Amino acid sequence: MAGHGEKNRPSKKHKSSSSKEDQRKTPTNREEEFNYVEDFEEDPREEGEKEGKKRDFTKLELKPDHDNRPLWACADGRIFLETFSPLYKQAYDFLIAIAEPVCRPESMHEYNLTPHSLYAAVSVGLETETIISVLNKLSKTKLPKEMIDFIHASTSNYGKVKLVLKKNRYFVESPFPEVLKTLLQDEVISRARITSEGSDGGDAFAISKTLGEMDGVHDELLNGIELAAAAEEKETHSFEIDPSRVENVKERCLPNFLNYPMLEEYDFRNDTVNPDLNMELKPQAQPRPYQEKSLSKMFGNGRARSGIIVLPCGAGKSLVGVSAACRIRKSCLCLATNAVSVDQWAYQFDLWSTLRKDQISRFTSDNKEKFCGNAGVVVTTYNMVAFGGKRSEESEKIIEEIRNREWGLLLMDEVHVVPAHMFRKVINITKSHCKLGLTATLVREDERITDLNFLIGPKLYEANWLDLVKGGFIANVQCAEVWCPMTKEFFAEYLKKENSKKKQALYVMNPNKFRACEFLIRFHEQQRGDKIIVFADNLFALTEYATKLRKPMIYGATSHQERTKILDAFKTSPNLNTVFLSKVGDNSIDIPEANVIIQISSHAGSRRQEAQRLGRILRAKGRLQDRMAGGKEEYNAFFYSLVSTDTQEMYYSTKRQQFLIDQGYSFKVITSLPPADSGADLSYSTREDQMVLLNKVLTAGDDMVGLEQLEEDTDDIALQKARRSAGSMSAMSGAQGRVYLEYNTGRGRYPGQGQLKSKPKDPTKRHTLFRKRFG
Amino acid sequence: MPQVKIIAKNFMDMVASLPEFKLDQLYDNTFICEAVLRSLPALGKKYVLQLLFIEKPVPAKAIEEWLLSNGVSKHRVAIDRLVQLRVFREIIDRKKDISYLLNTKFQSNLQKYIVKGGVLPGEPMPSSITVRLPTLEELDAYALEQWEVCFLLQLISSSQAERPTNFSSSMMTIFQRGLLSQRDKEAPRLTVHGFQFLLMDTNAQLWYIIREYILNSEVRGVDTADLISFLLELSFHVSGEAYNINTLNEFQRNVIKDLADLGLLKLQQGRKESWFIPTKLVTNLSVTLSDSSSRKQGFVVVETNFRTYAYSASKLHCEILRLFSRVEYQLPNLIVGAITKESLYNAFENGITADQIISFLQQNAHPRVAEKTPSVPENVTDQIRLWEADLNRVEIVSSNFYEEFPSRDVFESACDYARENGGHLWEDSKRMRLIVKAEIHMQMREYLRRQK
Repeated sequence: MAGHGEKNRPSKKHKSSSSKEDQRKTPTNREEEFNYVEDFEEDPREEGEKEGKKRDFTKLELKPDHDNRPLWACADGRIFLETFSPLYKQAYDFLIAIAEPVCRPESMHEYNLTPHSLYAAVSVGLETETIISVLNKLSKTKLPKEMIDFIHASTSNYGKVKLVLKKNRYFVESPFPEVLKTLLQDEVISRARITSEGSDGGDAFAISKTLGEMDGVHDELLNGIELAAAAEEKETHSFEIDPSRVENVKERCLPNFLNYPMLEEYDFRNDTVNPDLNMELKPQAQPRPYQEKSLSKMFGNGRARSGIIVLPCGAGKSLVGVSAACRIRKSCLCLATNAVSVDQWAYQFDLWSTLRKDQISRFTSDNKEKFCGNAGVVVTTYNMVAFGGKRSEESEKIIEEIRNREWGLLLMDEVHVVPAHMFRKVINITKSHCKLGLTATLVREDERITDLNFLIGPKLYEANWLDLVKGGFIANVQCAEVWCPMTKEFFAEYLKKENSKKKQALYVMNPNKFRACEFLIRFHEQQRGDKIIVFADNLFALTEYATKLRKPMIYGATSHQERTKILDAFKTSPNLNTVFLSKVGDNSIDIPEANVIIQISSHAGSRRQEAQRLGRILRAKGRLQDRMAGGKEEYNAFFYSLVSTDTQEMYYSTKRQQFLIDQGYSFKVITSLPPADSGADLSYSTREDQMVLLNKVLTAGDDMVGLEQLEEDTDDIALQKARRSAGSMSAMSGAQGRVYLEYNTGRGRYPGQGQLKSKPKDPTKRHTLFRKRFG
Repeated sequence: MPQVKIIAKNFMDMVASLPEFKLDQLYDNTFICEAVLRSLPALGKKYVLQLLFIEKPVPAKAIEEWLLSNGVSKHRVAIDRLVQLRVFREIIDRKKDISYLLNTKFQSNLQKYIVKGGVLPGEPMPSSITVRLPTLEELDAYALEQWEVCFLLQLISSSQAERPTNFSSSMMTIFQRGLLSQRDKEAPRLTVHGFQFLLMDTNAQLWYIIREYILNSEVRGVDTADLISFLLELSFHVSGEAYNINTLNEFQRNVIKDLADLGLLKLQQGRKESWFIPTKLVTNLSVTLSDSSSRKQGFVVVETNFRTYAYSASKLHCEILRLFSRVEYQLPNLIVGAITKESLYNAFENGITADQIISFLQQNAHPRVAEKTPSVPENVTDQIRLWEADLNRVEIVSSNFYEEFPSRDVFESACDYARENGGHLWEDSKRMRLIVKAEIHMQMREYLRRQK
């Protein structure tokens, strides 16, 4: 199956370079990996179920005052937290630092203590004994011995060693001289050591004092316990290593060798070698409390830590990124996933910081802005940097510049979608003092979390979605799963063996689904004046739907200019309220105007995709007080997932929702759409029309009806892939052209739209489908 | 199988349903008279006291004169009850006028009671002998433990019980009748009634079991009236006091052992004497069940992600939750589980309905979430109902399958005939196969025979 979709994609752009031909094979493979790793996501809870393992911890001893304590801790690392406990806030801050959240709905949170989460805890300055004693303080029961042992075992080595770049000299630093001795017994490391003159090169380490942790997050908890060490000055021992061997030393320290993974910190205030970049946040840029908190984790001890910050889409990740750059005030390299988001990042830097426009340069295949001055911000894509083949002369120059520069901050957007080898490459190419990864959905089951931990750094902060919704920082989304029964004819075909490859096309093209979609579009466009995004992974369906409904669509092969044009029209024109997007819209494309998502087909059971798509409408709109619980517009964003009942889709749908459900979202099931009393004027209301549609699906080639295979097409690599497939399927390009044509002529058909849109919304007019049943 | 109706009827309904002579026999016992008096509706109590020292029939009309205009319906209820319990004897004279006379035994017993004051059914033993009596809290805990952990757990899943009670398996089977169903060789499963039983509060459950116990007393060669009067007498004992077993007769001693198994009594043995201590379960026995003061505090939190957190250490709760959810973690005072499609399908298969599950979750909602409306997230309740509805989409119609028709003509006319009689379900004209509803099978066969 792989590759079918994109092989037939028409080319949008012809690039002239013979080098592209050579690159043909590798990027294809890479792309696939890029997109499909997530297929292997498995929910570990299901594993537990299969084994039928029951976890009986009834023997744990309850403390007499357990009512006042907020959590239970199990021997297998699971932690349950009562959110209604008076100690919830403190316990939450503590747990989020030491454990991975499993699910965080309203009343009870679950967390898992893992080696990675403990690594993250240690790296933000928590010590083993602190972790155990605070946990014990919060726990309703005596801590299970297994858990204590586990914490000891996991943290004994973590966070003991730091790699510090000071005045462009690399130091290995540790408060424990014996650890440094252990490290030095390794041949690679001892060879990399630079012994300063005067000292006899023996065991003597440089001793210095460093400031302790500055953040007071756990102060309340630590009060009374004599563990204030975290806030005191500490002696650290260090030795210097050869800058050219830093990578080797780091590698030796990874868990598979010496198992003393190094934390990287950047003492940017004392960095006199790299030129300062005069940038500050503009006064109107006011980081929100959780943004501040995430930054305080990063800059906790006056240095910049490398790591990952997890915030929901729409919660203002870019401001966190820009703020971090403003604190470090050195050159910053910002990596995004595609050209559209490169533009958006450049815009964000311009918007929030005092940088001049000429200090922000973009580097994409379309937009090669030259880097000038001795310090600045460069925004580019992962592909551009990691690209291994020959580049144009112009690109080569810029890449060379990026390679040779020492970056104060490497800012990486959407780290969850980028495969590890790409990171390795990027990180090897660019020399940076501090790396900050940003993402909304760090789905934890895949192996890549390991890579992220050691390539970028531990997770520094993760926000709770529901808390942000409650605070009005992100939209309160009403999620709904719309059950669309298969029509008899479609279901009969669906069950046939010979149609196994067309199953997806059949359930996506299910006329009832189409009608539900049309109904929802009409409802939201006309009744509420909303802006709607329709997502379809299946290209055939995307084209069919968009054509039939006369709406523009964007998919992999849509050129950058065209995308920008459509998105601009969507943002500004009152006549364009619905846009159809393929997978390309999942990440990064910022469409703040949209507040309704209708998903007609999706990528199997990918929880991440579901979350990312939801993220497209999370940006809070309207006034804060209206958005708060009980406000006029408590729900002003809608997420519909249309599924055909009795098909695979139902199974996938449940899987997909898991991440969001774990964040506390709930999916309401709607079973009758369009409502029985309407729908005669919708498409495919007669059996004849439905049969024509069925015929169309059945006669389409198998390759046509599959998933869209190509996605991140914005750069040299992807574009030339599109070119290669030119001409193999003219039908597609024809169909695509028609969409826009019909859109243009179709404009006159909805003369009322403009007025409807400008009509003031009646906030009391709640969507009938969501009227409270118990109200 | 006899349908077991589970109605939270009370002890007095049972008493009322006894045959006349047995009922009269019961009123020999002062305690029963007192218990009956207590159980009467307020107006009924009033009438009894009004007439207590009147030894002649009182015309119904005279009683009606006491009424306010809006009290007629209450009056009817009270009179009906009094007659049903044979406290009032209805006397119809020649003019067909009705008058009422108090049951003489009942009257004299109550008179004595009121004049001389009540006596306890048995003297508590002196504390010098019974050195260590449990405190009331300990006793409550014991009763609950015995009832829930030992008895109920054994009742719903015999294999789970750690300390089985001494009930004979035949007795247990009687209790389980209607609550559990057993298909051959399979482990018994809870029926709809069984689940409903578990949803009831302790007093109602207790009553159900005691009722079964009484109803089957005859089979065990025990006189029902004796048993009832002994049980009522016990309910007048003071909870927490010790009573000497030696004062009981053989029959009563046997009963006491059973009741101890249910947690109604605690048995203790001293050096020489042995005694029983009534728990609050037995003292509640004669209390009408309408008062819901015994309403237990809710303990379940259901989240939007279908996870359930039950604040309970009870094994029974765990077993109940296991009926429709997947129990994942058991902590000292918390049971963590998840409602999944599979776990629900399991429950539905056992005949438990979505509504029962939902009402269980709602009735037992933890105080934290109980104030919220809805106390169980809407998406969860919707989904439970939808999953149930999903299972019920297939309708089973018993039918007959015909094939190998001698000719196409016969096949077609058969199809037509079936259609005309409204029994045509399916046909495959290519291979000449036909399915018709079972109810027209005989007609169909007759018709086909005629075709030959």
